[in-house]
Parts: sequence; C-alpha cells; structure tokens
Amino acid sequence: MKRLSIFALITVAILMVGYAQAQEKRDFFKIGVVTSLSGELAFGGTVTKRGYDMWEDAINAAGGIDIGGKKYKVQLVYADDQSTPATAAVGGERLITQEKVDCILGPYASGTTLALAPICEKYKVPHITGSAESPLIWLKKFKYTFGTIPPVNLGPRSAIQTLTQDVTPKPQSIAILGIDDAFSKFSAEAMKAAAEKAGIKILKYEIVPEGSDYTPSVTAIKSLKPDIFAMGNHEKAAIEMIKIAKELKFNPKAYVQHYGMSTPDFRKGLGKDIEYVFGISYWTENMKIQSTGLFKNPKEFADAIRKKFNVDPDYTEAGCTGAGIAFQEALRSIKAAPPLTDAQKDALIGALENLNIGTFYGQIKFATEGDAYHANAGLQSVTLQYQGGKLTEVGPPKTRVAPPKYPAPPWDKR
Amino acid sequence: MELFFQTIIDGLLIGGLIIIVGIGFSLCFGVMHIVDFAVGEWVMLGAYAGYLMVRYFGHDPMIYLPVIFLIFFVLGWLVYPLIFRAVSGKGHNPVIMGLVFTFGLSIIAKGGALSVWGYHIQSITTWLSGKSLSIGLVTVPALRFSGFLFGLLVTLLFMAFLYKTKFGIIIRATAQDRDTANLLGADVRKVGAFVYSLYAGVTGMSGVLIGALFSIHAAMGAKYATLAFFVVVLAGMGYVPGVLVAALVLGLLQSFVTVYIGGRYTLAALFLVMYGVLLITPKGILKRGI
Amino acid sequence: MEVQAGNIEAPSLSLARRFVPLGLLLLIALIYPWLAVPLWIRFATEILMWAGLAQSWNIIGGYTGYLDFGHGAFFGVGAYITGIVMLQIGWPFWIGLLFSGVLASLLAMMIGYPTLRLRGAYFAIATWAFGEMVRQIATILNVTGGADGMQLPSLLNDLFFYYIMLLVTALTYLTTYLLLDRARFGYKVLAIREHEEAAEMVGVNTVWIKIQAFGLSAFFPGIFGGIFAYWITYIHPDSVLGAQLTDFMVVMAFLGGIGSLWGPFLGAIVVQLVQRILWLVWGEGTFYLVIIGVAICAVVLFIPNGLIGLLEGTGLFSPRESVNQLKKKIKW
Repeated sequence: MKRLSIFALITVAILMVGYAQAQEKRDFFKIGVVTSLSGELAFGGTVTKRGYDMWEDAINAAGGIDIGGKKYKVQLVYADDQSTPATAAVGGERLITQEKVDCILGPYASGTTLALAPICEKYKVPHITGSAESPLIWLKKFKYTFGTIPPVNLGPRSAIQTLTQDVTPKPQSIAILGIDDAFSKFSAEAMKAAAEKAGIKILKYEIVPEGSDYTPSVTAIKSLKPDIFAMGNHEKAAIEMIKIAKELKFNPKAYVQHYGMSTPDFRKGLGKDIEYVFGISYWTENMKIQSTGLFKNPKEFADAIRKKFNVDPDYTEAGCTGAGIAFQEALRSIKAAPPLTDAQKDALIGALENLNIGTFYGQIKFATEGDAYHANAGLQSVTLQYQGGKLTEVGPPKTRVAPPKYPAPPWDKR
Repeated sequence: MELFFQTIIDGLLIGGLIIIVGIGFSLCFGVMHIVDFAVGEWVMLGAYAGYLMVRYFGHDPMIYLPVIFLIFFVLGWLVYPLIFRAVSGKGHNPVIMGLVFTFGLSIIAKGGALSVWGYHIQSITTWLSGKSLSIGLVTVPALRFSGFLFGLLVTLLFMAFLYKTKFGIIIRATAQDRDTANLLGADVRKVGAFVYSLYAGVTGMSGVLIGALFSIHAAMGAKYATLAFFVVVLAGMGYVPGVLVAALVLGLLQSFVTVYIGGRYTLAALFLVMYGVLLITPKGILKRGI
Repeated sequence: MEVQAGNIEAPSLSLARRFVPLGLLLLIALIYPWLAVPLWIRFATEILMWAGLAQSWNIIGGYTGYLDFGHGAFFGVGAYITGIVMLQIGWPFWIGLLFSGVLASLLAMMIGYPTLRLRGAYFAIATWAFGEMVRQIATILNVTGGADGMQLPSLLNDLFFYYIMLLVTALTYLTTYLLLDRARFGYKVLAIREHEEAAEMVGVNTVWIKIQAFGLSAFFPGIFGGIFAYWITYIHPDSVLGAQLTDFMVVMAFLGGIGSLWGPFLGAIVVQLVQRILWLVWGEGTFYLVIIGVAICAVVLFIPNGLIGLLEGTGLFSPRESVNQLKKKIKW
C-alpha cells in the first residue's frame, strides 16, 4: 500500500504540472486547428491540414493579416482529434485554455465537429470548419461555429439535375446504395430526395455498413436494371462498388458517386474504369472564378497546392483555405489585433455573419437563419464527370466546361 | 430466377475466401488451444506485404504468394516461442494468457501499421481483376473464383497433410491428447511451432488475395478476425473439415440476407447466428468441435 | 487479522495504516480541480472514468475469471439510454443515469444466463460477438439516431463532470472492495475463478453468483456511459460501442493487475497518461498503441500479476495461497 500511495502521489504531481501559465503578449495571430491527424479519418484530416497550411503560407507570404494598416502574421497550432469526438473536445479545450488561441479552424469530420462545437460555445471562441458537412451541425444553431462547405444534403441535387435535364434519353430509374456513416447516409438520402423531385423512379434504396462485401448488394441492384446507379459514399466504397459492378457485368447508363472524385486514391484505385463516372463537388480548379484576395483564381490555388504538396486539391482543401480567408477578412473588418480579447471574439462573430466575399473558392456567405444556420450559403454544387481521364465539369449548364457523356458504354465495349 | 442463382454464386465465392482465413485459425486452436486474436492482423500484414512486393519489384502480386507464405511461416516460427511461454506461465489460466498475449500482438501489429502507413488505402490488382466469366444465367468474377478454388485447394492440402502424412497424424494426436502424444514421443513444442507457422503462412497468403479483391488498410484486420471467429465457431473449434462447410454456409447467409433482406441487417444477422450457435451448439453445427 | 480473498495485501497491516494514505488521496482528489487548469481537469476526469471502467471489467474478468470482450457494450447502452431518456422522454439527467445503470445491469444478467455457461475462449468470443451485435443494432435503429449519432444538450461545466466521475469511480471501488474483498460473495466468486467444479460440489450456486457478478460489472459502465454522453454531448455507435472501448478496459485491468483492487486504477492511470502525454508531445495519436501492445505482452510474459504485483513486491501471485485462505474460511 505504501508503494502504491507513493505512485499515486507522483501521478497527482504530474497532473498538477499543467498548472497556470502567464498570459502572453504577442504580435501574431495564434489560430488553433483541431483535425484528424491520426486514427481512421487521418486521410481526411491530412487534406484539411494541407488546406489550412496553404492559407498560413499564403497569408504570411503576403506579410500577414492587415489590421488597420499594420500586418500581423499567422501561426497555426494543431491538436489531433484522433478521429474521436472525445479527443476533439479535449483538443479544443487544450488549444483554448493552454495555447490561448484567438480562434479555431475545425475538423474534417462531422462527429468530431459536433463534439468540438460546444467547447467553442462555452469559451466563446469563433470556430470555422473547412470540411464538415453534416446538416446536424447546423441544426444545433451553434453561435460560435461556422462552415465554409454547404451541408451534404444539398450536394447531390446538382448531379441528379444534370442527369435529368441535360441528357438524352432521359433516365427513368435509379438505384441508390449508400454507406451507413453520417456523411454518406445524408448523401444517399439527398440523392433519393432529388430523384423523387425529378420524377425518376427509385428501384432500390439501400444502406449498408462500411466495410461490408458489396457484391450481394450490387447483384440485387443489377437484377433490377436501373438506368442510374448512385452511390452515397466516400471514394473507398465507390472504388469497390464500381469494381464489383464491372466484375458482375453490371452496366447502368450512369454511375454517380459523391465524394473523392479528385483524390489520387480514387484514380489509382479505378484506373481506366474511372471513365464516365459522375461525382459531386463544390469547387474544381477549372472553374471560372476571379477574386481579388489570396489566389486570383482556382488554377492559381491548385498550382500552389501542387507545388507545395505534390497532389491535386479537391474542394476540401479549398474549403479549408477558404475558412482561413474568412477569418482573415472578418478580422480585418473589425480591426482586431492579437491577442484577441473576449469582446473582440464576439465582434468577430458579428463580422463573420456579415461576411459576403468572393474568393478563389467561390462565394462565402454564412446563413444567419434556417436549417443551415452558419453554413456557407454562397456555393452551389457542381457535377463532375471523368472524360478522357480528366475530371470535367459537366453541370450546371451555365458554368459547365463540357456536356455530360451519357449513356456510358457497357464494360465489354470499352 | 437469375438473381437467385447469382446470389448463390456470390455466397459460395465469399465463402471460398473465408475458408482460407479460417482454416489455419481452426487448426491453431485445435492443436494448441490458442485463440489467436491477431488472426486479422496476419491478414492485414500479408496484404501489405503483397503491396510492398508489387511496389518494389513490380509484376503481378499473385506470383509472390509462395514468397509471402515463406516469410510469414518464418515470422510465425519466431513468434511462437513467445506465445508458448505466455501459455505455459505459472499459475494462471493458459487459455486466458494466450488470448491476452495474442491480443497484445494484434495491438502492436495494428498500431505499427497505423504509424507506418497511416490510414491511406492501398490496393493491388492482378491480371484477373475485373475479369469475369458468364455461365448461363450467372456471372462469375474471375478473381473471386480463383480465391474460391484456392480455398478449396488449401483445404484439400490440409486434409491430405493431416490424414495421410505421418507428421499430420502426430499433429492430430497432439490435438486430441497432448500429454499422451508427448509420452509417445511427439515433440509437442515443435508440433506447436510448426502448426502456428503454417497458420501464419496461410493466413498471410490469404491477405494478398484479399488485398487484391478489397482494399488494404491498417484497420482491416478486425473484419477478418470476425469472419475467422464466425467460421471456427460454426465449424466447431479445431475441426478442420468443418471449416469448409461453415465458410460456405456463412458466405451464403451473407449473400442471401443482403440481397433479400437488406445490407444493413447482414452483420447483425451474422452476429446473431454466431451468438446463437455458441449458446445452442458450442461444439459447432456439426458437433465435432473441441 | 483479516484474510483478504483476491487482494494481495499483506494481511498484517492495520486498518488505520491502510486508510490514511487512501484518505489523503481522496482529499487531494477533492481539491484537485481548484488547483489545476481546465485541460488537466479534463485529463483527470478521463482517467477517473477509465479507472472506474477498468475496475468494472475487473469484477467479471479479474475476480470471476470470465474474460468479457464485449464489456464496452454496457457503456454504450448506458450512453444511449441516458440520451434517449433526456431527449425523447425529456426527463432529467439523474433519471437517465439511473435507467442507464439499471438497464445495463439487467441486460447483462439476461444475456449472462445463457452466455456464462461457456468457458474461457468461448465466453470471450461470445461476449465479443454480443458487443459487435449491439453496435450493429445501434447503427440500424432509428431511436438511437443510427449512423448519425445522437446529440445531447450541453452542460459545459468541467467541475460538475469531474466530481460526478469521481463519485461514481469511488463508488465502483468501494462496492468492489465491500462486495468482493470483504463479503462472502467475494469468496464464492474467487472459488468460481479458481476451481468452478469444486465450488459447485461444495454447494456454491455458481450460476446465480456468476450472473450477479456480471450484472454488477455492467452497472457501473452503464452509468459511466450516461455521464460520458452528457459530457461529450455527441455519441455515435463507433465512439461509444466500438471494440476499442473494451480493449482499453482489458488492457488497463491487465496491465495494472487483474483480480486486485487497485490494479485497474494503476492501469488506467498509466495507459491514459501515456496516451495523452504522447498526444501532447508528438502531436499524433497512434504510436502509443504499439507501446501499449508491447506492455501487454511484457506483462503476460514476465509479470502476470500486473504492475501492482511489482509495486506490492509480491511478484508472482500464487493461486495456491488464496485457495488455502479460502479453504480456511469456508472450511472445506
């Protein structure tokens, strides 16, 4: 017992080591980032890190954020949420109370964001997530949380519209296979809703657990002969589903999937079979957008990402850099110098709500009411398709680069 | 009607893969009474090994199968003495110690893989990927079919080995009554090491096939551990011929539940069945387990 | 002189000498939040929760000798029940907690009845299957929110959660001490662990005792789950019903010393601190798994009694000893 008590006392001593640190004065913005640097969502967390780091580099290269004529540089401080909500909460707590950050850039996933948001509410620290898309976040109407990506359920609408309005012969039927995780399920539901609205017959709507063998599900779908095979998912499941479809000689007239169109994993995983696949995005590097801020157009951003990280960016990276830009512009408008006081943080909220800026990423304007409270209402989703091995924007008609290719030829005729 | 037959084919092919994952595992338990909690991790490491071979040496992953078998056989040979030590420790329940030790091994393997490769998803393809045969009403994907054939082949080889060779008989004797076998001259430790290495080799090999069929990532092990447990419980722990039957039954169950009831319920149904079998006939549906 | 079944303490230590360090520890625990920063209060709250969870596993795994690899299910069930009670029925948190604990217990006793008939590896696999089944069911059902998870109202008060975790953890340890170290119930449980057939022959109602132990072991995780749900505010089948929860409980209990009273506490501190400190220092969170795995293997090979065996200086724990003590008490 004696030895045990000594051990226990030593432990308590260690725990007390984290005792108060003096409040510092600083002449740079300290911005915290909570994202998945490890665990099962690490692949997504890495994407957000690229986006956030890119913003940090770009703004510092420009001298820093302009506050009333004086420029202040930005330093990002990372906390890994280990892909679990509990650690996201601890991470947020640590960044706010230990690192005393001015504001927070948020996680990759919705679950972790949902656990982080209350922490930001409690300490009244502004928080923008450049990635999380679940409608559940916005339904809670967190005052201090914003997001630059529109909720996932608005995404599939464009793809379904493209397929019903811009192709001939018009598809009559659709089968939807979604993965049972928060993001994918919403995506599948959105596809279903959009299909119903467009008058397409839904032959099958199925949700399966992540990691299952999709063969029997695809078999069942094949037997119903739908025109469109839609997948609510991330790219990993899409790769498997499309591979299985090929093996089973299932030839729907169109494949639609949701997330991950531009990721190297997706391209490597499918190789030539990626041709004709439709997907959803909010941003591509070929979009015709002009901006006066950091990065004049999407291409410039994409080139910068490629130069620094040697990968092609997708809309998550863009959304994360966009989140940084949102903070930057809002801070500029309230002329707040670091470190931010509580009053300044509250003023920042007001500034974010009033924000309406055009960036390389598109329009950023956070909704101030409704179900998508504080989500970005300034973006529309676009439909992408792989044509000739290149990711091409095929919808909506006003901004598209090429018409959609439909129907897709059967596998044995490619 | 076409759907029905295709569902059967799908199920059998799924079953074929499950065989390879379950057969070594079953033998392992039968002979040494060791439940290797790291079975899924052997699969995962095998898949990564296949991936690395292809990445550094090129060519089709399937040609590396014998090499992978050897590598994992050796790994198993190296690991087994530790397991043996854990299981023969003083005082405590050997089965529990073995369980917890292999559980520790699985954590090391998984943590190591996560640290080294992160959670990026890799895939490997072979010349068989994407190809399929159409036979009448059904379509049979070529790679899966090879996996199925491979599973049958492995089962046959195992059976032949266990029932027709001298060493095989020694192994079965050790499984039935370790002490007597010891008295009769069998070197129990060598037998154990051999069986474990065989199991590691076969399971590692299956990882390459699985990697080609699905995706490779550090946490994929849990899924295959699940399947191995399922099969072995249904087959009766330690009863190798039962693995064939059980694997096919499970594959068919998975296929039919997904197609006719719904993919959401498949895993729950499988667990329910496994749980039910454990309660009602713990010695497996053929009642030949240990 | 007391004979402590299942407890590795030197029997000649007087009551006072044992309780003074304990009292000191409690005092420090009570005033700790007033001295520490919010982050470390959070860390301490986590450690308390895991200490309690590991101990609850210890009841069925360590004391009774039945390795439950699905124990996390009771934690998740508790989390969801509190969530449902608060969100769908609208009752207050305390009622939710009560339901969580009681229902988790009942669930354990129900599935314990058939499952505890299995031994060793079979029991481990069956409970593991049960745990996974519960997770799948939670993903399918609508009342749990399925894959979307469940969001509880937020109470942002670090002190509240610290103290409530402290209370429940203290309760867990007290109950374990009273029922398993001091009461006759504990002797019967120990008898089942060491030699179940013999215990039956002597007239111990092994089935009923096992079910009770299992039910008791599930009560605390149920409550912890409820508190966790309210604390983190967002729960999801993966975050409260995942296998990694059980894994942690097993690891902590084992590392600390299964079958001992303070082992799980020690294990929880070590594992959780290592994990969090590595997280702070290295900025990422998976390599600690390798360290934990190596630690487990080392414990099995070299110190099967866990760290507490090392600290107590008793090294290898002889079951013979405790069986002898048992014989004396029950007078076989």
